[in-house]
Amino acid sequence: MSNPWIAIGALTLVSIIIPVSMVVVSALLRPSVPEQGKTAVYESGEVPTGDTRIRFNIQYYMVALLFVVFDIETVLIFPWTVIYRDGVQQFGMAQTLVPMLVFIGVLVVGLAWAWRNGAVQWVKSTRARDTAGSTE
Amino acid sequence: MASTLPDTISSLFGLGGLVGDVVGSLVGAVLVGSLMLTMTALAGPWAKRKITAAFTDRIAVNRVGPFGLLIIVADAVRLLSKELIVPEDVDRPAWDLAPFVLASSALLGFAVIPMGNGIQLADPEVGLAYVFAVASIASVGLVMAGYASNNKFSLLGGLRAVAQNLAYEIPLVITAASVVIFAGTLQMSGIVEAQTAALGFGLKSWYAFVNPFAFLLFLVANLAEVGRNPFDTPEAPTEIVAGYQTEYSSVYFVLMYLGEFLHIFLGGAIIATVFLGGPTSPFVGVEILPGFLWFVVKIWAVFLFTQWMRSAIPRVRIDQLIEIGWKGMLVLSFANLVLTAVIVGVIA
Repeated sequence: MSNPWIAIGALTLVSIIIPVSMVVVSALLRPSVPEQGKTAVYESGEVPTGDTRIRFNIQYYMVALLFVVFDIETVLIFPWTVIYRDGVQQFGMAQTLVPMLVFIGVLVVGLAWAWRNGAVQWVKSTRARDTAGSTE
Repeated sequence: MASTLPDTISSLFGLGGLVGDVVGSLVGAVLVGSLMLTMTALAGPWAKRKITAAFTDRIAVNRVGPFGLLIIVADAVRLLSKELIVPEDVDRPAWDLAPFVLASSALLGFAVIPMGNGIQLADPEVGLAYVFAVASIASVGLVMAGYASNNKFSLLGGLRAVAQNLAYEIPLVITAASVVIFAGTLQMSGIVEAQTAALGFGLKSWYAFVNPFAFLLFLVANLAEVGRNPFDTPEAPTEIVAGYQTEYSSVYFVLMYLGEFLHIFLGGAIIATVFLGGPTSPFVGVEILPGFLWFVVKIWAVFLFTQWMRSAIPRVRIDQLIEIGWKGMLVLSFANLVLTAVIVGVIA
């Protein structure tokens, strides 16, 4: 086929139609009995306290930043892997492998730095750290 | 280059040009979609229970129909006819869209998977990159579900899901890149084609045999990607109820469940294509089964593997998960990539 993306578009359409049709069938079948208390957020049977729209320490902020760096790196590595074999045959290993090794090396140095600074781990809250210290 | 499924269908109808392409694509997409739905229907309500029961020495569903198979119909009716409870103060458009994002994105990946006997919807040159791209859309759905639910368990589950996907996405993709070095193409049919050469001992050069280390890394990273033990922290029933899906009921729950199982099968399909030679037998010159059956056997084998891990391996803690991902898997996957590049460079 001339353009593979026509088929991918068709599957996109199908993969939207399938969930929508399931929702429609369910809307025809299911009852609706609105009652007080039914719509409370589940908190193990307790009365819910407050909502979740609060300031919250996500504890892996630095890791998420690192992810962006490495994700872009994977994008840059993919084209290299595709042409690597032909590249070695045409230009030899010195010209195809070494630049990529330098590139990965720079990122590994970055990772090592982040590792040493404790960025690549779950950040414990000060309270958790204090209690851990007192039990030791 | 073998023709794709839409081509076969449009020539069957005697259609050509753009009309043939569109009609063939639509019919093919419906076929592939229903095929994956059937497999999920078989896996979710029935096979999963049977497998877990076998691991824990129980019997599981056996009352409805032969081998309890009709439980699939009963469960479908039961779940679809449940009341849909919308909790207070949920973030409406996002909360409603999340199940759709999860279910749809998992189905999208199957467009480029070669399933044998010419069953492949599309074969773009960027096939492998495409499949990883759509598979990771699911993370967005998880965040939407977790944050919009207005539930503390959901919020924690959603955040954990992101942390996990951030940590294991890169090892997954980098390990796949090390395979691309062998194959020299991102096209799925090309990757399968490259694995048909003889390796020795009558075996084909499946990348699982050529580079078992990469295979192992990919298998582990894939477990994290689909959120199964030991990496099921985002759902962790004993800690945070059901994580991001706590507040979902009725058809929305079905969609999330469907998305999850489609994702496991998509992971299996990627493993089958990239490491297990796609829809072919492992032996040179001996096919035994038709290609399509080989494909089904392989993705069910991966499904069985995830269920085995689910029954056998304890969960890692969230902080351990981050450390395993960033200090272990990431470093190992880059070591694997560099080593593969050096070895291929020396041989070539």
